[in-house]
Amino acid sequence: MIGANTLDLLREVQLPLLAVLLAGACAAKARRAITARSVDAGTGPTAVVPLRLRRPAAVGLCACELALSIGLLVTAGPVGAGGPSLVVRCATALLLCTAAGALYVLRTRRPDAGCGCFGELSHTPVTWRVISRSGLLGASALASVGAPPLRMPGSAAQAWLVLAAVAAELALLVALSPEAGQVMLRLGHTDPCELREVPVARTLAALHASASWRRHRRLITGAVPVDVWREGCWRFVVFPGELADRQLEVVFAVYLSGRRPPVRMGMLDIDADFAVAPRTAALELSNPV
Amino acid sequence: MADSCASCGDLTGTGTAAWYARRALLRSAVFDTSDHELWAHRPAVACSVLVGVVTEVHEDAIVIDTRHGPEVVTVSPATVTWLGARTAVSALRPGDTVIVRHTTVNAGSRPRRLAERIWARIGRVTGRIIAAEGREFLVDAGRHDRSPRRVVVATASARQIQVRFPRLAPGFLLDVIGTRHGDHLLAVTPAAAQPPYRAGETPAAPLVNGPLPVPVSGSAVWHEPDDEPPSLLGLGYPALDPETDGLVTEQTAAGGVTAGGAEAGRGPGCVRLPYLSLGSAVRVTNECAGRSAVLPVTSDGFMARQFCDRCLQCGTSPRGRVADLTMTAFVELGGNLEDGCFNATLALAGLPRPTGV
Repeated sequence: MIGANTLDLLREVQLPLLAVLLAGACAAKARRAITARSVDAGTGPTAVVPLRLRRPAAVGLCACELALSIGLLVTAGPVGAGGPSLVVRCATALLLCTAAGALYVLRTRRPDAGCGCFGELSHTPVTWRVISRSGLLGASALASVGAPPLRMPGSAAQAWLVLAAVAAELALLVALSPEAGQVMLRLGHTDPCELREVPVARTLAALHASASWRRHRRLITGAVPVDVWREGCWRFVVFPGELADRQLEVVFAVYLSGRRPPVRMGMLDIDADFAVAPRTAALELSNPV
Repeated sequence: MADSCASCGDLTGTGTAAWYARRALLRSAVFDTSDHELWAHRPAVACSVLVGVVTEVHEDAIVIDTRHGPEVVTVSPATVTWLGARTAVSALRPGDTVIVRHTTVNAGSRPRRLAERIWARIGRVTGRIIAAEGREFLVDAGRHDRSPRRVVVATASARQIQVRFPRLAPGFLLDVIGTRHGDHLLAVTPAAAQPPYRAGETPAAPLVNGPLPVPVSGSAVWHEPDDEPPSLLGLGYPALDPETDGLVTEQTAAGGVTAGGAEAGRGPGCVRLPYLSLGSAVRVTNECAGRSAVLPVTSDGFMARQFCDRCLQCGTSPRGRVADLTMTAFVELGGNLEDGCFNATLALAGLPRPTGV
């Protein structure tokens, strides 16, 4: 009797698990679409349908995942017991089993394409791991068909048993998910400074807080920079200046990394130095090859 | 200019051009680099390239009207001439726009130019197809005024182009080389293979852990001058700083700095390149010809970001376009325009490495 109860509990806990996974898949796809400003961005099982159908297929898949996720949660308790829960769980099983088949077709026809299951995290080519994962989820959805409404475990021992089984299932899902590696990589990743987008305001704040700025501030005659540009890890900020009645340009190079970034400073005499710079077709400058 | 950003202004304008050249001087005022000397203290131009319009064609020479006046270029049986395909020099006609790579031969009292290769009326269209009808296409090549380019695929080349570009439909990318005829380009050869994705759906670049590896390898391509000077030596760079875009266009009432910049198509593309601005100096090396040069960034390499292809001119390059060179720069570096690309490496010039801070 205890064994049957535990089995029922295991079938019941598939419902929140599936609901969370479906909601996560929908959210990841939506995020990718928003980032790329295109609904049919990226690949996935929709890559095997004709071009004109990709957009509606992508929207439909995302909507199905969201609807089924909500449906699984709503009908998990006594409220939706009976017909509604049966329909939602059967539809979930159908979706996941169809996905496994579509991924197999995708792997055959587009071996370079990612499954797109979790948006941009799923860009690696489809492998048997991914197909097996869909199959496993389909099986768990099938197992949930006819399961009684979700309830608390009857005893501590039963709770531990269910917890261990869910942990094992999650571990298996993680092992079958190439996205897990991507998540770990992104969590521990920081772009080098050359690749990081850094707001100009932050650069100016770092400059104003620097000793170099305080030391040379008296030379500057304008509050607003006349030129700002970036080269790799350095951002250059140019101000108009004056020294002993000579007009000059004061240029600061601010490093774009660290709390107290290094700041270097240089000056250019407008009248003297600019004369040697070619004034016509100045972009046609290169060293001989 | 295939892909210049909307905020770049007219690069042919002396004021804007001098503004960017001045950055080399300002940079050298901070960092004691030597590259600025190569840039700012000599009005260097392409040494082995001439761009102009043919005025006379003779058996042993052609006369070209260039920006600096007429130039006589000697031709020999070894001279390769391209006008939609390889042809004889006699196929050239007065009025043809040509670009010539030459060597200088010291014969007698004065040196003469001997043509190595001549490209006549060559053009290239790279961009997103916005309309297709039979063999005719309208392509958004990222021009300033957003006006599309018209492309007609030559009947004899239709199959060859269809093989490399199987999806000639709106939304997909096109990159073809051909001959210029009035308002359209007669495409005769594909310049690349069509990416499997639509324009704007470039796959994410691989993450970089630790310092950015330099130099960066990839493919270097070329673009038509459009509104740039024809003999410009420079490149469209695919990773312009989105914050400044190389220009201070507006100063806010609060005293802050805002910058213009094309919003659309932003993103790193499929190669991770350091952010630079217009006027920055990069060293581009043609790995196939062994030639290199320090070139200024003169435009936004918007279209280069769209392509995650490889160049196969000498071995297989890593994926992605690292530079979209002007025609003159491409030829000067030893590239053959009809090939469309060469395997290239790109490195920053004139700056200390981050470790040198």
